[in-house]
Amino acid sequence: MTLRDALLRGKKRPRSFGSGSPTTYRGDGYEFVELRAYVPGDDVRRIDWAATARASALQTRVVLEDVALTLAAIVDDSPSMRVGRRRALLDAANEAVEAWFNAASGDDRCIRVGPRYLFPPRGARGRVSARAASLSPGIPFDAIDALRTARAALQRGSALLAIGDWYELNDTHDALLSEMGMRFDCTALVARDPWYGGLPLRGMVRLRGAEGGNVRAYIGRRERTRYREAVREREARVLARFERTNWRVGILHEDDGSASLAEAFGLHAAEVAVR
Amino acid sequence: MTFDHPLRLIAAVVLAALLAFGFARLMRRKTQQDLAYSNIPFFVEAVKPRNWIPRALFSTLVASLLVLAIAVAGPKMTVPVPSHDGAIFICIDTSGSMQSTDVQPTRSQASKAAARAFINEAPSGIKIGIISFSSNAAVVQPLSADREQVLASVENVPGPNGATAIGDALNLAAQDLPARGHRAVILVTDGVNNTGADPEQAAQYLGAHHIPVYTIGIGTPNGDVIPGTNEQASIDEDALRSYAEASGGSYSRVADATQLREALQRLGRITTIEYKHVDATVGFALGGACALVLVLFAGIGIGRYP
Repeated sequence: MTLRDALLRGKKRPRSFGSGSPTTYRGDGYEFVELRAYVPGDDVRRIDWAATARASALQTRVVLEDVALTLAAIVDDSPSMRVGRRRALLDAANEAVEAWFNAASGDDRCIRVGPRYLFPPRGARGRVSARAASLSPGIPFDAIDALRTARAALQRGSALLAIGDWYELNDTHDALLSEMGMRFDCTALVARDPWYGGLPLRGMVRLRGAEGGNVRAYIGRRERTRYREAVREREARVLARFERTNWRVGILHEDDGSASLAEAFGLHAAEVAVR
Repeated sequence: MTFDHPLRLIAAVVLAALLAFGFARLMRRKTQQDLAYSNIPFFVEAVKPRNWIPRALFSTLVASLLVLAIAVAGPKMTVPVPSHDGAIFICIDTSGSMQSTDVQPTRSQASKAAARAFINEAPSGIKIGIISFSSNAAVVQPLSADREQVLASVENVPGPNGATAIGDALNLAAQDLPARGHRAVILVTDGVNNTGADPEQAAQYLGAHHIPVYTIGIGTPNGDVIPGTNEQASIDEDALRSYAEASGGSYSRVADATQLREALQRLGRITTIEYKHVDATVGFALGGACALVLVLFAGIGIGRYP
């Protein structure tokens, strides 16, 4: 199964696409996927009567409704994503976005969303190249602004991938996330702290803040333990916030962005590899 | 504190300050390479780093350098040291008024008990003598470091009888005390000098020879009638205070046996301590060097140095 298939089959797709309503975009029609036991609420038109007769129980045909997708991506390209152990988290994020846009085919549209900008402009066709995916228009990145822009600009049912470290998220943003989770097929990749496994230093350390400022700190055993716990706790909190608001979630690993994306969709890395 | 070479102190302090400043700069430059981090506020909130540790290390480093700088200047200090070869006379009043029972069982018995407590707690090596005085003064026990002997001699202090010759007692003590060393006189009395030599002059003489007189006035505030007489036992506190001040000692008033014992015990601590002007170079040098080594080891241990 490809990432595109996963998006088409995704439970998060708005009901208007999966219940026989007219689709907005032209697609390749319906593709049979599987038979399964009838569940109350299934469209009666999808009941396979022949299979029902054989099985002596109602069977529903699950089909893949192929429509044109809108794939949108938000990538936090602020300085805080430019740090990492072996390479910048942003490199992994760009890999994931490239894989995300590579899932597009046919009439699918790809849109890069940032704070107060869309690229390419809404309505343009075609795929965004890897180069374009990593383009930054030079506007200081604000993840919340970017989410608001996406909420305002994207059509209902669009698939949105948002990647960042999400330090700025707090309770006040739950309503925004909830609304987006209802309107779009949202996936969030949370950048794993480069020092998730433990701080690499001990003793006196001078930390240079990626977004300015610095601090000189003594790192002892107690500090390392506190740090490890705090990083895990923060990551779990951010993931829980997204899940609570109906987002699909995953961890962005510094080593492999496309594999991180695949993991979020429960796919093998090869299934979302950049072609 | 005094210094043999004050100019060296100035030079050494300037050098220590330069060393500390240079060291701080070096460490600051060295730690700049360490780590780029995405979100400093989160880090500080999460880790709550114990920044007092490097500050304490640096402060100790500076302090140890300063101590070494002081050592270079040859410091001399006046420090209290326990005396092991001092000489102390306890002058006990045995005038008739010491029969009074306002201090239980009697002033005389309470004085003896307090003297015993003093003798028991005095450091070994201190020589203690006992002088009793009423109309005359007499040495009951010459200066001796033999505790048993001195304790036994307390029993030889005669019973209360006669007048109060404080001046004679002080003169006798001055005469029998050695010419040098740590010396003191403890005067326990309940009365007014009414016979013999002038105690004021005797106290001044003792003071001039660096022999402090610690006077203890014994008796309740209202006093008591001397048994067998119609006389009121009273204390000339001003005079006792004057003797103490003239000689560099102190005066205290006690109203019961417990206070008397406490007063003598306190005097035991005071009179057996002497102040010596000592060369503290070695102490400062050792202290500074030890602190410096400890700081460096601690610094290496926590990854601060090198």
